[in-house]
Amino acid sequence: MRITMTCAALALALGSAPAFAQSGEITIWSWNVAASSLKATIAGFNKQFPDVKVTVQDLGNQPTYDKSIAGCAAGGVGLPDVVTIENGEAENYWSQFPDCFVDLHTLGYTADDQKKFPDFKRTELEVGDKAYAMPWDSGPVAAFYRRDFYEKAGVDPASIKTWDDFIAAGKKIQSANPGVSMTNADFNGDSEFFRMISNEQGCAYFSEDGQSITVNQPKCVDAMTKVKEMKDAGIISSADWGTKITNNTAGTVATQIYGGWYEGTIRTESAGENGKWGVYLMPSLTADGPRAANLGGSSLAITSASKNKEAAYAYLKYTLGTNEGQITMLKEFGLVPSLVSALDDPYVAQGLSYWGGQAVWKDILGTLPKVVPSRGTQFQSDAEIIVRAVQTKYLTGGYPDAKAALDDAASQIAAATGLPVKS
Amino acid sequence: MRNRNATAYRFLTPYLLIFAIFWVWPIISSFMISFQATRTVPWRFAPSFNWGRLIGDPAFFNALKNTLLILVIQVPVMISLALVMAVLLNSPLLKARGLYRFAFFAPVVVGEVAYSAVFRLMFNLDFGIINKLLNSVGLPKIDWFSNVTPAMALIMIAVTWRWAGYNAIILLAGMQSIPEDVYEAATLDRVSKLKQFFYITLPLLKPVIVFCLVLSIIGTMQLFTEPFLITERGGPGGGTETLGLLLYRQGFRSLNFGYASAVAYTMAGLAIAITLAQLWLTREPK
Amino acid sequence: MSSRSSARLGRSIALHLFLTPLALIWLFPLWMMVVFSTMPDNGIFSPGIELLPHGNFIDNFNNLQRDTNFVGAIGISVSVAVTYTILSVLLTSMAGWALARYQFFGKGAVVAIILGTITLPYAVVLIPQFIMVARDFKLANTWVALIVPPLFNSLGVLFMRQSFSMMPDDLFDAARVEGVKEWRIFLFVALPLARPMLAALAIILFLASWNNYLWPLLINSQPGSMTAPVALGTLIGLTKVSWGGIMAGAVMLTVPMLVVFVLLQRHFIAGIAAGAVK
Repeated sequence: MRITMTCAALALALGSAPAFAQSGEITIWSWNVAASSLKATIAGFNKQFPDVKVTVQDLGNQPTYDKSIAGCAAGGVGLPDVVTIENGEAENYWSQFPDCFVDLHTLGYTADDQKKFPDFKRTELEVGDKAYAMPWDSGPVAAFYRRDFYEKAGVDPASIKTWDDFIAAGKKIQSANPGVSMTNADFNGDSEFFRMISNEQGCAYFSEDGQSITVNQPKCVDAMTKVKEMKDAGIISSADWGTKITNNTAGTVATQIYGGWYEGTIRTESAGENGKWGVYLMPSLTADGPRAANLGGSSLAITSASKNKEAAYAYLKYTLGTNEGQITMLKEFGLVPSLVSALDDPYVAQGLSYWGGQAVWKDILGTLPKVVPSRGTQFQSDAEIIVRAVQTKYLTGGYPDAKAALDDAASQIAAATGLPVKS
Repeated sequence: MRNRNATAYRFLTPYLLIFAIFWVWPIISSFMISFQATRTVPWRFAPSFNWGRLIGDPAFFNALKNTLLILVIQVPVMISLALVMAVLLNSPLLKARGLYRFAFFAPVVVGEVAYSAVFRLMFNLDFGIINKLLNSVGLPKIDWFSNVTPAMALIMIAVTWRWAGYNAIILLAGMQSIPEDVYEAATLDRVSKLKQFFYITLPLLKPVIVFCLVLSIIGTMQLFTEPFLITERGGPGGGTETLGLLLYRQGFRSLNFGYASAVAYTMAGLAIAITLAQLWLTREPK
Repeated sequence: MSSRSSARLGRSIALHLFLTPLALIWLFPLWMMVVFSTMPDNGIFSPGIELLPHGNFIDNFNNLQRDTNFVGAIGISVSVAVTYTILSVLLTSMAGWALARYQFFGKGAVVAIILGTITLPYAVVLIPQFIMVARDFKLANTWVALIVPPLFNSLGVLFMRQSFSMMPDDLFDAARVEGVKEWRIFLFVALPLARPMLAALAIILFLASWNNYLWPLLINSQPGSMTAPVALGTLIGLTKVSWGGIMAGAVMLTVPMLVVFVLLQRHFIAGIAAGAVK
């Protein structure tokens, strides 16, 4: 504890040093497209800070988490300077290892800086007056679809307003395109459709203050019911992350519904399908219902063990806190900026050739203001596992209805976390 | 056997030293952590927090059920198969014995990462060779990863593939240590090969079979790699979650070290209890 | 006479008819591993049935080498496994010798420790052990951390105890009468006699170290110092999954072990026979 205090004091003292004095090496742990996009910003960063050498290590999602946890548990041993943290898992870190990461305020992160990011991205990253991480990207949900498959079935995506429309369109598309599934869901290791539709309808696993369980509230029940209707209609075939990508490339799926960060995945992984893909808003439960949700999104935190905290903060500030850094990542890999000002960048309004000239970011980012905040809490991973188990059982007829399924989930989450179920 | 404390410990010291330095404290500390509430910092002593939760936790019972299911179905199937392999490999009629041996024993050397990756590709829903072969003979393809029963079957298939040969090696070795003249005498008395198997081989092999069973029980109680890497962390929805995986998930994913430790000691206790019960059931009559 | 030999032939044919398909099924995943490692990714995920190798192994390997320095990782894995095997064979046979040949105070406790630790799931020790080794001993990213903690190997000790206790007492008593010191008896009489068992143990320990995943993943976080399975494991989590590359790595991890296995098969089986059968 005393060591941490000294470090913080030292950091405070050094924090006031002028920016051009930064030098040294920093290392960042990240994964997948996120790691690639961090690498893409290094060149721009080095124009301002030529003496800072940035190394991004792509460890894969799971090892990054495992090794960060182990490193924190060991008092910071072996940790890099910067760690990528998913928002949904963030509170787990702060509650269990409050000393593992630096309060960014000690490095010059001001209230004005914080205001540049939307509230829903910051709730999980800040505890009391401490800010442990800087928001990075978010995941406004959209439907990515194959224009050719839709056209062949005579389906106009603009006509799909509700999930029921989506089911009807799916049946048409599947009969017009043999071997093609309307959409994919990872029924093996995720509950993404339930989470997306719940969030769209303003329902989450926990209440916004994180003090009670809300997973069995009526809107969540509606969402779960709809997932089963889609599965029973035969328009969803199951596929995990890797298989979804394979299906995209092989042309065996017509639609993927995911966070906006999936834009980069489709564009870079299925580069050969140039011009065939398009984007429309996610459907809703009712024709005039909300059509915006958030799925995923990450942040960057600086470890207390870092020997180059100022250089690390300078990098965060450039990459996440400037339009230049954020737009680089959007252009290269489709990571959706959390930085509000970046949304006014001219690139956002441009038609993109991969997407058949559609200005997809205008459509996707337009939903951001309508996203209802959904808090992860430190119990997110417990709750998620329970929901997946209940979902699996419900989809195979293990419960009379979605209400019974989610009541069961709520009581299990209560047992695991000690939180009350909201009545 | 000689009673020599100093000499014995001189031989044991390096080994025990490593135990003392690297293992004693982790084992003790995880036991103590199991009595602490570790959800929030600072951790506090609260014995009922984890152990009480264990008794009423559906996730624990789900993992226990899955583990026992594998124990009851997969272990006997695998040991029987290993026995068949061993008997047939031991047959004097067999040609190209080395090739067959290689086929059955080779999986033993395959690393867990490599083997899991191959199985995931082979059992892929749309592009996996297994479903393609099923399709080609007119059977419907199976969604191995998204439904509980096929996913569980997949885990059992994978574990059987990996470990049957290992057990066959042990059983084969046991068979080869049975003296030839026992069989020669039986053959002279015109006892059929099948009868020889049931009345000579099996009884003489019993201690070896028990040894294999004990190893398999201990292994199954800790089963982790296959549901972790093949069915994507115990999917679908915990359908293949084992106790080993529950422990990992509580420890590493939910950072709930206290509960993870409680689960671990329950697993160890169960493994010992089942092993003892099994040794007692198969004991030699006095 | 002729009826008996024709019955024999019939049985032989039946035996091969049963065992051949079973052997083919057993080889199938390994064969597919080889096939996948020679196919481009779009070939692995194509609708057709592909059962024969293609020509893409070198490309796949180059992808793998670009994503992670796999050759370097294999080098580390080999060095770690060799060092570990030598040390572990020595330590476990010393401990096994003590348990097999001497009566001493606390023997019951030592045996209880060995048996007890077999049933304890490794995952529970993993976290406190990591904290201790990394934070308190400051050994993260060192060879010591990779090699030394796994040297405590209960099954190896039990195996060697079994091997030594099967040797007749008079072998050693003769030497003792001549006044030969115990450690010399162990080194120059017992160990040479136990050579087949040591070979078997060495293979098993080498294999265990070669395939070890969880501990090296945590303790060796420095890039360029990962062991081969860890390097391969990181690839599976990536977006740009190059399955052909992963399979090429899998083949490179597996084939050398298969060769070792074939060459030393006799030791392997003979050794296990000695350990498993009382």
